[in-house]
Amino acid sequence: MKLGIDIGGTFTDFVLFDDDSNQLYFAKTLTTYPDPTKGIFNGIKELEDKFGFPVKNLDGIVHGTTLVTNAVIERKGAKTALITTKGFEDVLEIGREMRYDIYDIFLTMPKPLIPRNLRMGISERVDIQGNVVTALDQNAMQTLADTLTQNGIEAVGVCLLNSFANTKHEEAIGNFLSQNLPEVYFSLSSEIMPEIREYERSSATAMNAYVQPITDKYLKDFETQLGAAGFKGSINIMISSGRLTTIDGARKSPIHLLESGPAGGAMAGVFYGKHLKEENLLCFDMGGTTAKACIIYEGKPEITNHFEAGRVKRFKKGSGLPVRIPVIDLIEIGAGGGSIARVNNIGLLTVGPDSASSTPGPACYNLGGEDPTVTDADLVLGYLNADYFLGGEMKLSVEAARKAIENKLAKPMGITIEEAAMGVHRIVNENMANAARVHVLEKGMDPRHFNMVGFGGAGPVHSFGVARLLNTKRLIIPVGAGVTSAIGFLVSPVASEKIHSHISELKTLDWAEVNRFLAAMEADGFEFLDKSGIDKRDASIQRVVEMRYHGQGHEITINLPNGELSENDVAEIQKRFIKEYEFRYNRSIEGMLMEMVTWRVVVEGPTPEMKVKQFSTKASEQESYKGTRKVYFEQTGYIDCPVYNRYGLKANEKFDGPAIIEETESTTVIGVNTTIQVDNNKNILIDLHQ
Amino acid sequence: MQNTTTTFDPIALSILWSRLISIVDEAGTTLQRTSFSTVTRESNDFAVVLMDKKGRSIAQSSVSVPSFLGVLPILTKALLKDYFPEDTWKEGDVVMTNDPWLCAGHKPDIGIVSPIFHQGALIGFIGTIAHSPDMGGVLWGAGSRDLYEEGLMVPPTKLISEGKPNETLFNILKSNVRAADQTVGDIRAQIAANDQGIRSLMKLMEENNLTDLQDLADAVINASEKAMREALLAAPDGTYEYAYDTDGDGKGNGCHFEIAITIKGDEIIADYTGTSGAHPLSINAVLNYTFAYTAYPIKCTFSPDVPNNDGSFYPITVTAPKGCLVNAQKPSPLGARNITGNMLHSVVFGALAKAVPKQVQADCGSACWCIVLNGEHKGKEFVEYFFLNGGYGARPNMDGEHVLSFPTNVANVPIEVLETDIAVRVTEKSLVANSAGEGKYRGGLGQRFSFINVGEKSLNISLLTEKIRTPAKGILEGKDGQMGSIKIIPERDFPPKGLDKLHPGEELILTLPGGAGYGNPAERAETAIAEDKILGYIS
Repeated sequence: MKLGIDIGGTFTDFVLFDDDSNQLYFAKTLTTYPDPTKGIFNGIKELEDKFGFPVKNLDGIVHGTTLVTNAVIERKGAKTALITTKGFEDVLEIGREMRYDIYDIFLTMPKPLIPRNLRMGISERVDIQGNVVTALDQNAMQTLADTLTQNGIEAVGVCLLNSFANTKHEEAIGNFLSQNLPEVYFSLSSEIMPEIREYERSSATAMNAYVQPITDKYLKDFETQLGAAGFKGSINIMISSGRLTTIDGARKSPIHLLESGPAGGAMAGVFYGKHLKEENLLCFDMGGTTAKACIIYEGKPEITNHFEAGRVKRFKKGSGLPVRIPVIDLIEIGAGGGSIARVNNIGLLTVGPDSASSTPGPACYNLGGEDPTVTDADLVLGYLNADYFLGGEMKLSVEAARKAIENKLAKPMGITIEEAAMGVHRIVNENMANAARVHVLEKGMDPRHFNMVGFGGAGPVHSFGVARLLNTKRLIIPVGAGVTSAIGFLVSPVASEKIHSHISELKTLDWAEVNRFLAAMEADGFEFLDKSGIDKRDASIQRVVEMRYHGQGHEITINLPNGELSENDVAEIQKRFIKEYEFRYNRSIEGMLMEMVTWRVVVEGPTPEMKVKQFSTKASEQESYKGTRKVYFEQTGYIDCPVYNRYGLKANEKFDGPAIIEETESTTVIGVNTTIQVDNNKNILIDLHQ
Repeated sequence: MQNTTTTFDPIALSILWSRLISIVDEAGTTLQRTSFSTVTRESNDFAVVLMDKKGRSIAQSSVSVPSFLGVLPILTKALLKDYFPEDTWKEGDVVMTNDPWLCAGHKPDIGIVSPIFHQGALIGFIGTIAHSPDMGGVLWGAGSRDLYEEGLMVPPTKLISEGKPNETLFNILKSNVRAADQTVGDIRAQIAANDQGIRSLMKLMEENNLTDLQDLADAVINASEKAMREALLAAPDGTYEYAYDTDGDGKGNGCHFEIAITIKGDEIIADYTGTSGAHPLSINAVLNYTFAYTAYPIKCTFSPDVPNNDGSFYPITVTAPKGCLVNAQKPSPLGARNITGNMLHSVVFGALAKAVPKQVQADCGSACWCIVLNGEHKGKEFVEYFFLNGGYGARPNMDGEHVLSFPTNVANVPIEVLETDIAVRVTEKSLVANSAGEGKYRGGLGQRFSFINVGEKSLNISLLTEKIRTPAKGILEGKDGQMGSIKIIPERDFPPKGLDKLHPGEELILTLPGGAGYGNPAERAETAIAEDKILGYIS
């Protein structure tokens, strides 16, 4: 029996899988501040009371949390120092010197997580080949340690120039710190992100150190309290790449937790895909403030190594702190249920990225919000049921929504309230479809080749519109759309991710050296899995290298052939590189040398099976058809649209759209020219006819 | 099709407009990822613009060099008028030129323009300008004595005709430039970017049943023009003057700028009468370039939120006497004209501070310094560029950022990348305490960057510095920023702008200027001063 726990900004979600009965159980509690473990135990109690599963019966818990992300955004990390090569203390603050918005002279750059007075240089230098040019100043270390103590430093990041080429100086500092200041946490850049580019490496290292003490404390509490409650199983933590690590792994590299929630959503997409035999899927997740999309290609999520945390201007690329860790490649835009719509200074309708959040919230909440939001538009259009929002727990005011749309949008544009509401709905869908389209095209793929799965609170409301814009053939609204990330936690594999920097031209590579470090990385991975009780024989190895044409600055990822490598593999590697390059850029360059830069080895345990027999819902026997209500569609205007109760849908039921399907956490909106089917697990499958 | 006009409601227009912008951004990503020179791949010294069939810009890449964005439509209009009239373009053509008067003001900036055809008809153009690593002649910088020393000039020529490469031109390029692989590789990356843009545009047209771009172009251009005119209308009418001095050669022969900006109704005119004449160093700017860097701060001041396109420029007129520093004529050398262009925002903001003081910033520690190194590394000739930026100017409501690119927008080359590419060792990169101009809001700090030639051979070096003799000027009682300086160890004379050699073991220490302050320093909050002290920004 396994439990997935996902702490989000507002709610903590629980998904329990009972492998005796093959049943899934869901629960949702409010996230508690400042101690989120309270909310966890509220949920655990609810599961026990409602379904009779005590925590002591659980074999495993998989956990993901926004703790790390919030600490970075709200600047609530530990008092942290950074040790650098002397003369380079300010690299972290100077960054790349480039503006993220060229016309905004009032822009601000993100402040470094470690302020200037806590950045300390030490005399040492390694050159780009890894030769020591200036020895590490051993005498300075004690002085440095004293300064750290005097300043009450809780964590230290160490990032020396060229340390990816020679790790010795960083390791020596690490050893000194662990011997002399055992209570201080430290992060070495050569372990956190052993890659070229000093600013990006410092940024990741500083961030890791900054969040290490709070993550460590939190995980310790989490583990202890679960133990006290009688839990005896294993604990795993969800990381940004869609894989699981151990508590120890998470303590060491907490920055890998940055995107644990969204990664869970993507892994749920992988799971649904496998279940529904859909190899290529576009996952669309829309909540209160943002919408996210990611690609599942041939049953796997795309992983990128470019990520930014804590953007000072929301959704603006370049306005955050770079963290080069493996992250599921998601696009995120500022479009959620709470996104505010307005007519801008040139008379155009825009939506987001700012959000009315939960207070005052959309105008229809009647809590004082006057700005029209996406939720208001959805209500006016009849997509949402004023009396059945969050299962009826919250009453919505159609009148307030209409008034806000009329005053702020319809009148200024000289159109009807319905047209304005439809405009808001369309723009949100377009923004999302546009971002998704660019994302798919950038990978050299065609959006029409993907079916879509929609989830999140607002996802089922908008998925249909987005799917139409992308010419998607089939849209799937899975069961559990409100707790998707936690479902993903239960179907993600435990894995070790190792990185090694070794820059060399392909033709002159020292293959013996390559085989040596690849083998060492694999051995490390097996050891890690062994500690989680995973047998070597059940593990799989993925070896990739990031390559480029010699002289370029951007690498593309190539899968390495299996086994020992030698000169005999050069032709195959070249072939793979050219194929990938042509796929992305529609051309290759003849006669240009190729270069290997960063090597990555993932050793992965088996993906947990979850053979779900039947999904459980709160209600038992219910009618599916609820009657009709007035719903506005772009092509038809208001029509009497059939409304269904999702909990009452029967397996293999089939009917034609348009339709509205209501459930507690969301509402599925389906337009005309569609066929709707319900599968054995009550997933809703929508075929969109052209 | 010819006679019907499609109108776009505010919703459809909003949607299509964002898609046009994402198309050019996508093309920009392709350019950066497939290019070879550090100028393009690390520093982002390029731009992509989508234009209609009249050469009017419709959409531009978001995070780009403002001058290129301004120049591309001017270039394309000139191509249509004087070189390749509308009916001479064929599908699959690609035109190249680096003519400074047509393109971006100096020869290294290569303009690549491709026509866009839809159902057999010309519907628009997509163009890129990128700073190529080399165009032959003396090493790029301020060191050339006339235009002809600045290398190869390619008048507008079809680099590709209906898909067939002009091998002669490619061969001429290869035999004239240093590190030909990089230069030609970057040109190919520009072509790839144009192609990418065309493909994406075709998809957009297909999905929206558009047959041409004209109505859409009119709609976005009108909207941007309207926004600019309305903002100008809200500003007080009048003529606002400002004078400004810069280093010139950094050895005593400086440059003087004068501007008179007239705001009248919804129009704005900037006149540079009184500005010094052509400079003997190659820092002279052609009028296209002057226009781009004058229009840019005007756009920042009056209409920063509305996407830029041709319409934003219509209310703006820029004039300068023929032959002066900012309206250079043949054969004045132009190589390092960016030094001059990069100072124009200071002049414009200085004047506009008198009209709309809450909408401008204090002077930045620009121009961006450029360092070009040329030599051999591991048996291969290289041309390595890198850029360094000074402090940002203070704003009416906040301090300036430390070390940030303005008005151009170029990133630095990471130290570790630099050391991979060539035999230098960087010895310092740090903020310079006390370098910011004081004010109610202070400027941003400048930086120090030092490096040693650790190779066995001397390196050719071209250096471009600014504000080592003239400071970033404070406004509205704000103080000037600290000036920059150059030092070489062992000590000897080193030209602030120009060519020299960096011999093995020599260390060059570059200290970049700080940004200027805004408002009276006496009004600065005590807490802000205390914080600056704790952080060591001031001592």
